[in-house]
This record gives sequence, structure tokens and C-alpha cells, in this order.
Amino acid sequence: MQDFFFIAFPYIALTLAVCVGLYRYFSHRFTYSSLSSQLLEKRQLFWGSVPWHYGITLILIAHLLPWIFPGAARTVLGNQTRLAVLELTGIALGLYCVFGIAALITRRLPNDSRARAVTSPMDWILLLVLAYQVLSGVGIALFERWGAAWYLSTAVPWLRSLASLRPDAATVTGLPVFIQSHFISGFVVILLFPFTRLVHVFAIPLEYLWRPYQVVIWNRDPQLPQLPVLHQIAASPRPIPLNPSEVQRRQLLTRLGVLVGGISAAIVGIPSLAFLLGLRKVPEVWRSLGAADSFQIGQTVEVSFLDSTPLPWSGVTAKTAAWLRREGPEQFVAFSINCTHLGCPVRWLPNANLFMCPCHGGVFYKDGTVASGPPPKPLATYPVRLRDGMVEILTTPLPITTV
Amino acid sequence: MRALKQIWRWFDEITGFSKSLGPVLTHPVPRARKSRWFYVFGSATLTAFLIQVVTGIALSSAYVTGSGQAYDSLRFINSFPIGRIVRGIHYFGASAMIILIGLHTIRVYLMGAYKYPRQMNWFTGAGLLLFTLLMAFTGQLLRWDQIGFWTAVVAAEQAGRAPLIGNWLGHFILAGNTAGGATLSRFFAAHVFFIPAMIFLFLAVHLYLVVFNGISEPPKAGRPVDPRTYRGWYHALLEREGIPFWPQAAWRDLLFGTIVVLSVFLLALVVGPPELGKPPDPTIVSASPRPDWYFMWYFALLSLIPKWSERWVIILGPLLFGLFLILVPILGGRGERSPLRRPWSIVIIASVIVMVAHYWAVGIRAPWSPRLDAPPLPVAVVGVTIGPIADGARVFYDKGCEYCHTVSGYGGIRGPDLSGAGDRMSPAQMATRIFSGAENMPSYRGELTAGELNSLLAFLASRHRVQPPKPPVLHTPE
Repeated sequence: MQDFFFIAFPYIALTLAVCVGLYRYFSHRFTYSSLSSQLLEKRQLFWGSVPWHYGITLILIAHLLPWIFPGAARTVLGNQTRLAVLELTGIALGLYCVFGIAALITRRLPNDSRARAVTSPMDWILLLVLAYQVLSGVGIALFERWGAAWYLSTAVPWLRSLASLRPDAATVTGLPVFIQSHFISGFVVILLFPFTRLVHVFAIPLEYLWRPYQVVIWNRDPQLPQLPVLHQIAASPRPIPLNPSEVQRRQLLTRLGVLVGGISAAIVGIPSLAFLLGLRKVPEVWRSLGAADSFQIGQTVEVSFLDSTPLPWSGVTAKTAAWLRREGPEQFVAFSINCTHLGCPVRWLPNANLFMCPCHGGVFYKDGTVASGPPPKPLATYPVRLRDGMVEILTTPLPITTV
Repeated sequence: MRALKQIWRWFDEITGFSKSLGPVLTHPVPRARKSRWFYVFGSATLTAFLIQVVTGIALSSAYVTGSGQAYDSLRFINSFPIGRIVRGIHYFGASAMIILIGLHTIRVYLMGAYKYPRQMNWFTGAGLLLFTLLMAFTGQLLRWDQIGFWTAVVAAEQAGRAPLIGNWLGHFILAGNTAGGATLSRFFAAHVFFIPAMIFLFLAVHLYLVVFNGISEPPKAGRPVDPRTYRGWYHALLEREGIPFWPQAAWRDLLFGTIVVLSVFLLALVVGPPELGKPPDPTIVSASPRPDWYFMWYFALLSLIPKWSERWVIILGPLLFGLFLILVPILGGRGERSPLRRPWSIVIIASVIVMVAHYWAVGIRAPWSPRLDAPPLPVAVVGVTIGPIADGARVFYDKGCEYCHTVSGYGGIRGPDLSGAGDRMSPAQMATRIFSGAENMPSYRGELTAGELNSLLAFLASRHRVQPPKPPVLHTPE
């Protein structure tokens, strides 16, 4: 059941939102609006609409940012004062929203309200779901405190796992049902998107922000200037006068031309692009590094091995190097030579028991942990195993440090 | 001679070149007066690009696009004097192209030449700037020596910082799991086919627009661009005092272009191509990858920004630069062109020049890189050959201290200079620092025996910048 609510349902909601949204956009484009009822009565709308929209926009951004930049959020919230300030701001904005949505609901309530007359059942559902969403949000902020902090280790990994198509709900299944209901109703809101007036979010006339406040329309064309040179070339023979059927014919031919050209381009372009993007799925294989007895306990030495499927023209680049450390009779560790900062090859300093990177001076201890400098992570390791007295290493991909 | 003329007449008659392209060549351009020499950088960039096309084709006829053979084929090219010269021209031509496109961009930006109606001139130019930088980057990589190889890895690592798609993008750049057989082919295709094709395309539009919109007149403070009247005004200006591009304006382009070609050739002859490093063998771990000069400042930038900001800068930095290039003509498409009325443009250019020059100078010294090739301290510096101080000097070298700390001119400059450590720290303070480490220094707790620590402290305590004062010599009256 948890899997349904936290893995299947989010994907269903998103898929429906996108598909139906697109369908509605292309088939009923003029319904992409909020069906403004402003003309019907104005006062009450102001007190509802303004707090609601400002509050919810900021709160949504606050929900979204840690999801996109969890590391930065963790740094910001690592400080108690900052966390407290953020929580307080969040509660204030939440209450602001609650006030707004309450006003938005009450203005539609009276029987003689003109706004009520234009309210569809879908509007009521949406208002109720949104009201539940902000109320539960404020409730969480008040009774399950410091959500800004635990959000990072519960909902964020879950949402990121959804976004990366490797869904994993383990971090949210253990939460109190009250909190879970907030998550689920959040996806209900997404599900409702294309079915309700919520689509107006995508039709906000943002260009109003930078368009000139006044548009002057001239009655006559400003005098067309003479072009400096190319007008001589561009001066084509007089256009042939056309009759209407000829115009239609030309339009059809132009469209056909674009269509046929597009198809031809796709026939050539798509396979070429697929070829370019088609990374060979390279198998991972175990390569022998030599007899276990040839490595001394406590020593770190360079080993090299062949890629799993070297190309005939790879030459020396078919090899990969690693730092192999024998820690006990049966324990081996193989570190990648690539510094986790920008990939330069780290060098082992046997006397100092340190790895040092020549590019930006990153230093790692003998166990691969960061000692100093810019590297963000410990050295990556390769899987190593002992088989019939031989040390073997798995040819995994070159480790790339990701955000 | 007569025959040649006749052939030309015949050719011209059936192609119409002198009728169609002749006016393009002799179209009127504004008199540039005092700033006339500032107008040569664009054509000089084109000259440098043509140098690259010609020498690049020549080089590609001997270069082998295989990760295992490219290095050997370059050694083969290098083994002929003429091969060295062509490689040298290609290298210095690239450098010239970078410098000239930079100057051209600065000139256009400062003179506000991107304003109406030349916004698309600017956009295509911005594309050409981007492609030129990509050519520089991929070109350095095609040298495919040790540094070229690691450049591919560093490129993949940087792409890896892109959100969500980082890992995929990194391995897409490498064309596989590791930097290997397929990697070089990918960069070769980009450097030789894809990016040049884009350059030709953008160049065609760029040149067409230069002719279509006309070359911008030198700006004058107090003469803003008004899109409604500009074209008419510009046309009247040309009628009044325009001069034919060929030959009255173009001779400067010709002269400057020739100087560029000659300089590139002389540098190739005298200085020669960049030497090939060690082979691109991933198992030779004693590599110190460094970018060519044009990216030295970026290398320094990534080293000097605060650690926490790096993940942002690697991805957002280039994106913001691109955004700036796009926004310049959108937000500033009209109004004053003169830099005298656009003080911020001067501030921006000055800041960029100061920043790049500074980071470039720092990048050459690379103080953040440990000097892994530092030799052990000579006896002259240590002062003694036996005893705890001499033992300490050995520990100082063995434990890698010297890679980052200078003593009397020996060693790295990542950490503080310890030539006068004895003057400013007590042994207890030194021991605390050695054990606790710091942001950029590893902790040596557990790595030093008591004996090693004592001799190391004895050695450091014996480091004095000022020699102990000698007793004053009294002057005795004669």
C-alpha cells in the first residue's frame, strides 16, 4: 500500500497532469486561464487572492529549493538560528495562506454570491484540497517541528528518487500518517492540475513584468529606410499577381515542403543522433591483479588492469590504474586514482602515508578519506575480491563526482 | 594577360559575380576617423580562422584518430621540420584567434555596436566566440599526450557537476566507461567536423549581416540609437560621407591581417609548436595536468574560489556568461552607444580584463599545486649533517611537508613559508598544527613517531629568517 501511495500514485498523478495538460492545451487552449471572477465582486477577492498567491508562491519555492539543492539547504539549515528564522517565516507565510484560502472559500459561500454562481464542482474540490494542503502544512510546522530540517532526509531523497526514475520510498514510509497525508494530498493537487483552473499557473502573463507600460500604435508605417547594399540583390522582379486559389495552392505547397523536409531530416538525423548518444553498455568483468602474496600487508602500490572490452585501437589507453592497499591477510582495498575534485591522478606518498593530487593540492589519508584541500568526497574504490590466491578487481566505470 | 582577361570576362558573364558581389565589396561604409584602427579585429579573427582551416586540413592528413596511435602520429609529424612548422602555425594561429576574437568582442561591446539593428550580428558573434573557445579546448585535447588525456577526464568531471544528468553527461563526453579507445574519436569529430561546420554557418550569417546592416559608425556621446529613425539616418550618413569598403577601408584589414599571418608564422618558426608530453598512458600516475594558456585563468579561478561555491561555479559560471551575452543586446538594444555614456560597460570590461589577467598570472604560478618534484633540502640550507636538526630535515622531506611548504627557497608554496618558522612559533604551537591539520593541510596524528616529531620540531625551531645578530664592530679612531 505504501508503494502505491508513494511510488505508483505520484507517477500516475504526474503522467496524467502532463498528458491531460498537453491535451487540454492543444485542444481547448482558451481554457488555460483562471476564469477570473474579479468583475463580479472585487473587495473580497483582494483579501483572498493576494495573501494566497504571495504566500503560496514563496512556500512553493521554499519546498522546491532544498529539493533541487539539498547540499546548500543542509548548509543553510546547519545553524540553529537560521533554522528557527526559516521555520518562523514558514509558519507566518502558511498562516497568511490559510487566511487567504479561507477568504477565497467564504466569498463563494453565500447563496446570493455572484461568485458562487460561477463556481463549478471542480472548483470546490480544488479549494478543499488546497485548504487541506495548507492546513496540514501549518499543522506539521506547529506540531512536528523543524520540518525544514527533517524534510531534507525524508521527503527530499524520496522526491529525488522519483525524479531520477529510481523510486525509493524507504525514507518516507515510516513517517506519521499525518505527515504522509500532506505528501499525498500534494500529489493530488498535481493530479488536479489539468482538470481545474490551476492550469492558469502556466498561463501567467509574465511578460507584463518587462513589457513597456504603454504601446504606441502608429497609424502609418514609419518610412522604410533604404538598405545599404543588398537591396540591389534583393530587388527581385515584380511579384506575380495571384488569384485566391493560387494563394491556397502555394500555402499547401509550402506546408508540404516543410513537412517532407522535416521527415527527411528526421530520417537522417535521428539515427545519427542515436549513434552519437548510443553509449555501449560495457560489461563489468573481474581482472586479475596478481597473486595475493605479492602484496605486502600495510602497503599501497599502483596496479594496472585492462578495461573490460578494450578496443583494438585503444593502445595504452585501454589500461586503467588503481592504488591497491593490502590491509590484512584477506583484506584488500583498491582506490581509484582519480581525485574526486576534478579527476586528476592522485599520487601515493609512501613515507607520509598520504595521497596527494598535483592539480589543486587535494590530500587523502591512506584509507581514502579527505585530509585537506578541495576534494568533496573520499577517493572512490573498486570492488576487489580474493579468488584462488589471486587478487581480482571489477572494472567499474571511471568515477565521476556528481552534485 | 589578354587571355586571362578574356577568361575572366567569360567567367563573369556567366556567373554575374561583378554585378552581384561587386557592390558588396565596394559598398559604402562610414568614415571611422580616429577609431578606424579599432575596426580591424573582426577581419583579423577571420584571417586567423582561415589559417586554422588550412593548417588543420594539412595536419589531419597525417594525424591518426586512434587513442593508441594519435600520440605516435604526432611524434611522426614532429619529426619533420615542416611538420613542426605547420603544427606551430596551427598552435599560434589558435592563440591569435582567441586573442583577436576577444579584442573584437570588447570593441563591439564598448562601442555599443550590438544595438539596433545589429542584435543578430551580436548573437551570431557570441556563438562564434563560444565555438572558438570549444575549438581551443578540444584542440588542446587532440595533442593526446598525457595532458591531453587528462584534459578529457577533467572535462568529464566538470560536466559531471551538472545536476541530474551529470554522470550521464560525463560518460557521454568520454564515450564510454573510461577514457579510452572511443574518447579521442569523439573529440576529433567535434574539433574537425562539428564545431568548424557550426563556425562556417555562423560566420556566413555574421558576414551577411555585416553587409545587410552596414558596419556600425563610430559612436558619439549624445547620439542615441532610435530604432524608428536609425536606418534612415544611417543611410543618409552613408550618402553624405560614406567611403567604399574596398579599397578605402579594407586596406587596413588587409595590412593588419598580413601582420597577423606574419607574426604567427614567425612565432611558429622561432618558438615552435608546444612540445609533446609523456604518452597518454593512464597508468603513468606522475602527471600534472595543466591547461594551455587560454584556459589558465579558468584553472586558477576554479582553484581559488571558496570550496562550497565550486559546484555552483562549474556549471552556473559558463551558463551565466552565456546568459550575459544573450541579454546584452536584448536589454540594451537602443539608446546611447558611446562608452562615455555607458560607464558600466567600461567597468565591466575593466573588471574582466583585470580578473583574467590576475587569475592568469596566478595560474602560471599555481600556488595551490604541491611541488611533487621538490628535491630534498641541501646541506647548505639545513646547516648540519647529523643530529636532530638533520633528521628533522629528512622527516620534513619524507612526510611530504616540503611539497607544500618552502624553506629557504626550496619546496612548494601552497602552505606558509617556513623559512622563519622558529621566529614566530613555539614548538608546542607547531606540534598542535602538525597534529590537528587545517583546511588545506592534512593531520599528521598517528603518522609521526615521537622521535620523528621531536627532530621535526628541532628542525623547524632552527629556521630563522634573520641570522642571530653579530656583535657590533666598534670603529676605532685611527
